[in-house]
Amino acid sequence: MALNALFSQLLIGLINGSFYALLSLGLAVIFGMLNIINFAHGAFYMIGAFAAYFLMASAGIGYWGALILAPVMVGLAGMATERLLLRRLAKMDHLYGLLMTFGLALVLQGVFQVAFGSSGLPYPIPEALTGGVNLGFMFLPLYRGWVVVFSLVACIATWYLIERTRLGAYLRAATENPSLVRAFGINVPLMITVTYGFGVALAALAGVLSAPINSVRPLMGADLIIVVFAVVVIGGMGSILGSVITGFAVGVVEGLTKYFYPEASSTVIFVLMVLILLVKPTGLTGRGIEATQSAVAPEPASAQGRERVALMVFGVVVIGLALLPLTSVYPYFIMQILCFALVAGAFNLLIGHGGLLSFGHAMFFGSAGYITAHAVKVWGLPPELGILAGVAACAGLAALAGAISIRRQGIYFAMITLAISQMLYFVYLRAPFTNGEDGIQSIPKDRMFGVLDLADTTVLYYVVLAGFILGTLAIYRTINSPFGQVLKSIRENEPRAISLGYRTTLYKYVAFILSGTLAGFAGSLKVFVVQNASLTDVHWSMSGEIVLITLLGGLGTLLGPLAGAFVIISSQHHLAEFGQWVTVLQGAIFIACVVAFRRGIVGELAKVLKISL
Amino acid sequence: MTAEHDTMTRTALKVGVLNAWYGESHVLHGMDFDVAEGEVVTLLGRNGAGKTTTLKAIMGLMEKRSGSVEFGGVETINLPANRIGRLGIGYCPEERGIFSSLNVEENLLLPPVVRRGGLTTEDIFDLFPNLLERLYSQGTKLSGGEQQMLAIARILRTGAQFIVLDEPTEGLAPVIVQQIGRTIERLRQKGFTILLVEQNLRFATSVADRFCVVEHGQVIDTLTRADVDASTAKLNSYLGV
Amino acid sequence: MSEYLVETENLCKEFKGFAAVSNVTLKVRTGSIHALIGPNGAGKTTCFNLLTKFLKPTAGTIRYRGQDITDLPPTDVARRGMVRSFQISAVFPGMTALENVKLALQRARGGSFDFWRSRSALRAYDTRARELLDDVGLGDFAGTMAAEMPYGRKRALEIATTLALDPDMLLLDEPMAGMAHEEIDRISALIRRIGKNRTILMVEHNLNVVADLSDEITVLARGEILAQGSYRDIADHPGVREAYLGV
Repeated sequence: MALNALFSQLLIGLINGSFYALLSLGLAVIFGMLNIINFAHGAFYMIGAFAAYFLMASAGIGYWGALILAPVMVGLAGMATERLLLRRLAKMDHLYGLLMTFGLALVLQGVFQVAFGSSGLPYPIPEALTGGVNLGFMFLPLYRGWVVVFSLVACIATWYLIERTRLGAYLRAATENPSLVRAFGINVPLMITVTYGFGVALAALAGVLSAPINSVRPLMGADLIIVVFAVVVIGGMGSILGSVITGFAVGVVEGLTKYFYPEASSTVIFVLMVLILLVKPTGLTGRGIEATQSAVAPEPASAQGRERVALMVFGVVVIGLALLPLTSVYPYFIMQILCFALVAGAFNLLIGHGGLLSFGHAMFFGSAGYITAHAVKVWGLPPELGILAGVAACAGLAALAGAISIRRQGIYFAMITLAISQMLYFVYLRAPFTNGEDGIQSIPKDRMFGVLDLADTTVLYYVVLAGFILGTLAIYRTINSPFGQVLKSIRENEPRAISLGYRTTLYKYVAFILSGTLAGFAGSLKVFVVQNASLTDVHWSMSGEIVLITLLGGLGTLLGPLAGAFVIISSQHHLAEFGQWVTVLQGAIFIACVVAFRRGIVGELAKVLKISL
Repeated sequence: MTAEHDTMTRTALKVGVLNAWYGESHVLHGMDFDVAEGEVVTLLGRNGAGKTTTLKAIMGLMEKRSGSVEFGGVETINLPANRIGRLGIGYCPEERGIFSSLNVEENLLLPPVVRRGGLTTEDIFDLFPNLLERLYSQGTKLSGGEQQMLAIARILRTGAQFIVLDEPTEGLAPVIVQQIGRTIERLRQKGFTILLVEQNLRFATSVADRFCVVEHGQVIDTLTRADVDASTAKLNSYLGV
Repeated sequence: MSEYLVETENLCKEFKGFAAVSNVTLKVRTGSIHALIGPNGAGKTTCFNLLTKFLKPTAGTIRYRGQDITDLPPTDVARRGMVRSFQISAVFPGMTALENVKLALQRARGGSFDFWRSRSALRAYDTRARELLDDVGLGDFAGTMAAEMPYGRKRALEIATTLALDPDMLLLDEPMAGMAHEEIDRISALIRRIGKNRTILMVEHNLNVVADLSDEITVLARGEILAQGSYRDIADHPGVREAYLGV
């Protein structure tokens, strides 16, 4: 009996492994040719499943037809996406591709959520594959066996296509030296389009395969893609066979964990990733393609020595904010904006000045919230000590997460921080003190420092404002310090900074810790504003929101985070009744920022006024 | 019209006031020269003079270029690189451009056939027997000389009659250099037109009909093979040796 | 002090099966200006990257002041006083010339992790930085953004920044590349001056410059050392003319 359970968990592991393999294979193929990490991969996987559902519901085309048609349809959609959007990023840093496809994923998932809600739609197992066979040691449902075998065949066929055919030779050659292949008369841009289409078609194929097992849901790919990122970090993207083997192996490990220690089954892959990174910072294959320098950074300021202008404008804004309680504006809303502006500012310190894109800043924002809420509510600490506990915890967390991730650059750094953050999400989901889905509610509002009564909204407002000012000034000082100068030099020319004898990794590490600590400070403050600490704040979508606020406001600007937070939080506030359309809108803003608006609001303004803000 | 063609040699390539940029940096400042059909022309000049850039600009591989590049009477300045390649120009880049993820056979068969009349694989193995022996080796595992042979061989297959070679002797032993010289001579006899960039002056003088001296992204002098002996001192000063 | 500041023994580097550098045994005499020359593709820049640890050698050892530095990271090599320049001018484009130089001074003098202090703390380095800029003829450019400086000036700024570290050993990768004649003379004079109390190893294509400046020359061809000696020895070496000119 126990053995039977073991085998069925192994089978589930193999099935998940099939999806991991197909998805990471598609990611690897796309990355090789486009140098883009396709964050929308999970969304295309979901659309593949929906395509199968539609084909059945509206055209009466069953599973077998969908197995062919859905990938073709999604592949064509992918090709259109490449032509219309991704092509514009061809000459830019990899990270922009990650940001744009993240926005695309939000749009696609949002649209399907608007149309179908979040619950699943049923999709039947094809008749020929219903039932199962008793293998003696276990019962094997036919369909599940089919998924494993068919995925394996698809992976091997892809490998054969790329490694053993003429077409594959074009692909490999163009991956290595696209301009030479072009000079031979081969239409490389078309190949890039087709490759992206092929990669997402593989994702759609996985979607169709999963439809009868996991039902069809708009968010079915959203969490999966983060697991696949971890798989990719483990196995590297250098080889086709490598990603297939890693995919299946990781699935099996996950299955075994479900049997032996089920509590860890949702985190095991991330733990595995962390362990491997600790032992071998470059991943298993060690062939990961690294962006040596990140270009996701503001253009050099033309006006030197005018940082004080930014500080003066900041002063004016602060005076305006200080006068706000005299008006009729709802302070709760402004306090929220201030908290988000501070976390975005902390993130901006890292990306705008250190050139590092962390896709996991929610881990600091949310963790600090949990710790502060717990400290105040359960331990009965006064607010100031609660905040201190949250901030200190985040400093420690940043030191750990940074130690794991900082040696990897560019997109790998983004994927690793995202994966670590997702691991924490699962930890918080299960940890008793967080109350799971409910979160920690009704935080007591004691007197801060024994005198400031946080229950009084006006007092709370000034406390939050003071926190925001303090945090922003700390960021300003860091940027304009001897340390900030070195950080800037690393962003502008890392090899040169190394050749001058700077241990650049150490500087980035310190920047990461500072950024994480400040992000935690924002999270701690927010607890007193919103009166709870919940899973929302550690979810990957929060990390995305932090990135979006910063990008929209203007990378590397002092005032950008405030401007970005104002736009994003107000739009959420005013458009709340439109439900998931807000997600779609945010995704669209993401795409617009990356395509046409890379300086952000404040950056564009500064350019027009020829000053540094 | 045809009479005219019979009496005068036709121009294979005509480069007029060609400018090119790497990002912000302006590299070619109005290159002007042409290559007649069946001719072998060498671009000479110091490092950084713009020779390789000229070849890249002809192939459409520079981000930004302006001026005129007429190939067989077709203006290519606004064509994408893959269309230019299809007009029948075979390009052999600096450092040879052998693909490490492809084996020798795949490297050889990679460039698509653009015209009839290219060499068959039999012809190629006849010309370069080493390649046949190492058909399934990884491309970059070949010696420098073999890689150069492969780089030339693969464009001869395509039927292109106009061959562009960027420093074919770079980093090669003298005996291999001589072999490449003989290959180029055979190609000329077969009627190929060849444009090459070369640092090895003796090699260049042994194969080329005409020399264009490039400095600061411009052609500053043109010499024929007959002029070379008389102009050794001048050439040495051009090349900084 | 030993006779040689830098010595390599049988240094090798392979890329994807291609030997870019093989069995290079190079000795740079303390206090000399040593030039590394050779035709394109001879492995000069690879050699440079090996010496400064920007590349890991496939085989062989590198000694600096008699100590084995083969396994050190590039930062540590720089900290021991062996500092390199780059072929493409390596400046920090978004900083002024003065800030570029101060960044190097700041490293040499410590305090670079102080994120709580104002940048004005760096004013202490202004005097020295201006001296260094004056030294390379950039006195009037102190407040200019590096990005906006002409090419030759960027190279000079790079040298000033390197000198700020007061290195014992300088590695210059094609200091004259892309320079006009008058700039070449200026940089030549500068190199000669800074070479008075330092050891310099440079890769250079301009043979006039090499003849003019160097005490010792090593010729590389096809990744191997072809000849070594003074300019006269080299110029008469038949293999060198063969490799360079094919004559």
